[in-house]
Parts: sequence; C-alpha cells; structure tokens
Amino acid sequence: MNRKTFKPFIEPLWDNNPIFVQVLGICSALAVTVQMKTAIVMGLALALVTAFSNLTISLIRNQIPKNIRIIVELCVVATLVIIADQLLKAFLYDISKQLSVFVGLIITNCIVMGRAETYALGNPPIASFLDGLGNGLGYATVLVAVSFFRELLGSGKLFGFSVIPDMVYDWGYQNNGLMLLAPAAFILIGLLAWAQKAFHNRQG
Amino acid sequence: MSENQKAFVVAAIVCVTCSLLLTAASSGLKDYQIQNMTIDRHKNLLKSVGLIDSEKTYTPEDIESLYQTNIRALWIDSAGRLVPESERGAQDLPVYLFVQNDAIAAYIVPIDTTGLWGKINGYLAIKNDGSTIMGFTVYSHSETPGLGGEIERKWFQKNFEGKRIVNKEGKFVSVGIARGTVQDRIQPEQRIHFVDGISGATLTGKFLSAGLKNVLREYEPVSIKFRQHDISRVPGVGK
Repeated sequence: MNRKTFKPFIEPLWDNNPIFVQVLGICSALAVTVQMKTAIVMGLALALVTAFSNLTISLIRNQIPKNIRIIVELCVVATLVIIADQLLKAFLYDISKQLSVFVGLIITNCIVMGRAETYALGNPPIASFLDGLGNGLGYATVLVAVSFFRELLGSGKLFGFSVIPDMVYDWGYQNNGLMLLAPAAFILIGLLAWAQKAFHNRQG
Repeated sequence: MSENQKAFVVAAIVCVTCSLLLTAASSGLKDYQIQNMTIDRHKNLLKSVGLIDSEKTYTPEDIESLYQTNIRALWIDSAGRLVPESERGAQDLPVYLFVQNDAIAAYIVPIDTTGLWGKINGYLAIKNDGSTIMGFTVYSHSETPGLGGEIERKWFQKNFEGKRIVNKEGKFVSVGIARGTVQDRIQPEQRIHFVDGISGATLTGKFLSAGLKNVLREYEPVSIKFRQHDISRVPGVGK
C-alpha cells in the first residue's frame, strides 16, 4: 500500500472536495446542517452509501450492459439508501425523524450517481470503494464544518449542549436566528469554498 | 446471446437481488422499528400533558415508566362513558387519561387526520374541565419540511396551550389555525379559539383545522361529561 493506492480516498477530502470543487450535493447540505448531530449522521450515511454503491457497481461493471447502466446504478443506489434508512429507523429513531425525507433523498444526491458513473464504471473495486468513501467523507467534513457554525451561532449549542455561558447572554449577546435558516448555509458554504480555493491556490 | 437478451438477464438478476436484500432488511428490523414507534407515541402522549420537555433527552426506560405511572389507555362508547379494553364495543373510540393522585387531570384525544400531503398523527390533551387545551403534539406527518412540517415544532404546538374548544355560551367551536397571526387576523373575542398559522403553509393549516374539528366533534360526548363533572374517577381503579 503506497500513497497512490489512497489517492482516490485522499483527493476528494480536500483538493477535489465534492461540495467545494465539484459543487455536488448542495441541497441536502443546506437542509441538515442546523445541528451537528444530524449533520454527522447524514454525512456518515452518505459516505457508506457512496462507498458501497461504488464497490458494488465496480464489481459488476463488466457485466452491466451499456444501454441499461443508469438503471442498474440507480437500482443499486436505491437499495442501499433504503437499507440505510431502515437501519436508522431501527437504531437511531430520533435522528431519523429529524432527518425526515433527506435520508431518502440521498438517492438523488449527485455525489452518489456522479461517482458511480464517472469512477466506479471504469475502475477496480478497491479503488472505487476508497473513492466513494473519500467523496462521502469529503461531503461529511463540509457538513460538519457548516453545522458547527450554524449550531454554535444559531442556538449557542454544540451537539445539543449549551456552550455559551448564561453570563454572555446577560451582557446582551443574542443567538443569530438567520443561522437556523437555509440562507445561512448558503453563505457559510460560500465562505468556506472561498477559503478552500484561496488556500489551495496559494499552495500551488 | 444478443445484446438485448443480456440486458434483460442482467436487469432481472439485479432486481431480484435488490428486492431480496430489501425484504431481508425490512422484515429483520421490523421489531426494533415498531418498538421505537411505540416509545415515540408514548413520548408524545407525555409531551401533550407537559410531563416531557422537548429540550431534554429521555431514555426509553424513563419514558416507559412515566407512561406506566401517569397514563391510562381506555375507550369511550357512544354515550361518552369510559370503558376498559375488555368491555370495548366495535364503534368505541380510544382515549388516554392523564391520572394524578387517582384523579383525572386531563384526557388525551388521538388526532388521526390528513394534511395537505398525507396523514397527520398527533395528540391533543384537554383538561378535566372538558374545554381547555393542555397541549398538542404531532408525532408523524408528511408535510413539506420548513413549511407545513413546522406543525411538529414547539413554537407552533405551544400556542395551543390554554386555548378553549367551547365558546362563552358553552357551545362547541373547536380550535382553529389562523391564516397569519391571531393578533392580526382574529377578532379579540374569538382569539381564545385560534392559534398562529404557519407562513407558506396555509393549506396545511386549513386541513389540520378541519381535522381537529372533526375529531373533537366525535369526542364531544365524553367532553360534555367532563364539562358536567360527570367523570372524576378512572373506571376499574377503586370505587
């Protein structure tokens, strides 16, 4: 195992991040980032779905006829998403209620289909698995970063625990209600994408 | 084998495999899911009478013990009498009693109705005077998140507390959801029967108002008994 083996895993985490660089999966990033807890669960669910759908599709890539490949991809992705949804309902019921339709909507998340179509169809299983995992975690990282700021500034909490002392509120500090609404996620993602680009360009 | 035949065979294999996996997942996890849903319903029953704070987290054991000590599940017959499960008739409606020190503090009506996009399930707790709302919760719905989906939020549900389902003359009027805020839209003397609406969800409000009215009308026989102070003890408990 050398650096090259992990290239498909490392790259999407930063240099080729699905949200900042490929601009995929924005919609759900707006919806589930009000709290860190939901963002983490959503990020992990998506990472696992992308990883396993890439793996499955790569394993059967030589058997899939060209004319029905999108249907087969969709079938695999949909099955995995429903299984993920069922697992959440069985073991993390409260979080699954908060995520509501967004788990089901992983099916339509462009990252999953995008990676299956552009990577898994032409690459061996292990590399595809790592590519899926990397892209999923790249997405998860952004979700967690955005939700960190939204939960902290919007409700003064992290993981549901209050972190801003009451004293600060007594001095006149107020939670920023805008942070709880979708526009705040837009602004934050924009700012983070800007920071990522600036940093990336400076490195060379 | 021609290209088309191969496509059919592959498609069939993929479909069968996927459906087997889905069947396995859904039947294998069913018991856990049903258990979660029961606990969630109990949690909402307790929330409607204010025994649970939505800001705090409770273990399933906490919820079950609170439920066992405070809530009794019963049925009401067409005359509005409370009957235990064993004497239940086919037409009888379910009701939950919030019992404190052997006296009924409130009764909880299951609200099973439809919204704009699908079913809405929740609970409405009414104090033992038979007319004042103690609390309202929603535990399942298919309304649009951020719009009609706000019915599951605390700010919306909190407004129900203290509203009345009968007017000054003692006639049943139900409780409705205003289009806009109660302050702006409703005459001062009517405000006790309305809660603030949700912007962007006028239709959800309309359907829920109608649903609440229908359900509460069905429960009028028992509500009238409570108003006349005919019921004070839980049947089957003491004499």
